[in-house]
Amino acid sequence: MDIAGPPPDAEVVARVLGGDAEAFGFVIRRYEASLLRFATRMLGSNGDAEDAVAESFVRAYRHLASCREPARLRTWLYRIVANRCKSHLSRRLRGEVSFDEAPPVADPADNEAGLERAEQLSLVQRALLQLSPEKRAAFVLKHVEGLSYEEMALITGDRVPTLKMRVHRAREALLKLLEDYE
Amino acid sequence: MNPIDPRLHEVLDGELDPASAPVELGHAVQRIQAVAALLAAPVAAPSLEARVMTAIRRPIPSRARRLVRWLVTARALTFRVRPVWSLALAAVVALLTLFPAGHEGPYIGEHEGIVQFVGRFPGAQSVHVVGTFNDWRPESIPLEEVDHDGVWRATVVLPTGTYEYMFVVDGERWVADRLADRVVADDFGRENSIVIVRPARL
Repeated sequence: MDIAGPPPDAEVVARVLGGDAEAFGFVIRRYEASLLRFATRMLGSNGDAEDAVAESFVRAYRHLASCREPARLRTWLYRIVANRCKSHLSRRLRGEVSFDEAPPVADPADNEAGLERAEQLSLVQRALLQLSPEKRAAFVLKHVEGLSYEEMALITGDRVPTLKMRVHRAREALLKLLEDYE
Repeated sequence: MNPIDPRLHEVLDGELDPASAPVELGHAVQRIQAVAALLAAPVAAPSLEARVMTAIRRPIPSRARRLVRWLVTARALTFRVRPVWSLALAAVVALLTLFPAGHEGPYIGEHEGIVQFVGRFPGAQSVHVVGTFNDWRPESIPLEEVDHDGVWRATVVLPTGTYEYMFVVDGERWVADRLADRVVADDFGRENSIVIVRPARL
């Protein structure tokens, strides 16, 4: 925890571009949890998600100068991770990489409630993986990452009405797939 | 027919006050929110910072080095072919195998035949065959020792007829072919081998 408060994204970007490579650590610490969650929901595999996010960070560092709006670093990073996930899913579809499904993760307390929650998460994650990657990304960005449709448009490059339609279809599909889920 | 009330999306998108939505929508809204809450749970994973920073600190290989690495790295090439094309390709290969186009080796005329000269000369450096077919010129038809086992061979196409011949070993030693069907004495008191060339095309 940084008592003085972490520097804003634009400042961190300026420092890294000025030659302070170590300042990129702020970027990693700030965004790795949410990017990892996004990639895990997209790929359904912790290991694949870790690889995708790590590769995305390295790519972001190497191309940081092309981040035209450093204040919007967050959406730029999501865009890179979304593209990595997309290419990973394409390779999986072509059989070039295997799919190791993430096992349910129990709460640290490892009590009955934690195990049940882990099972529920596993069930929901499986339902999510049945959606097309586009609908899955739209649902996760909207409901899990809490982004606005405008931010989602910056990440995916799609128009807001298209994204709204995808989110709607994703909700309907999930409700159908999880009809028995309480 | 859409069984889901479209106002569900208006509520979840913040365009409709949940309080003014029908009560029956509440359950569906809560289910979507519960799904989102489950998926929003943090993912247990080790920090990527050390891994990423190690990769960042590592100098980027030069363009030439990357090109060399790309060239020497083994890659799987995957071809996706429709079954109908696979069958067509298999048919073409079968046809080419069964009915090869063109001729392998020299063209053989109607009045020509194939002769194979074979002799065993262990330790020889060179072996040639000379005879009436090449006016006894020593260097014109060399034999080859393919397997390095002392056995020298040459396959030649000659006009049909009967020829006298001998082997010339290492450019100086003239030796008759002991495997020849016939031998004949020459004017110098030596024995020449006889080969009869029959037409290859009947």
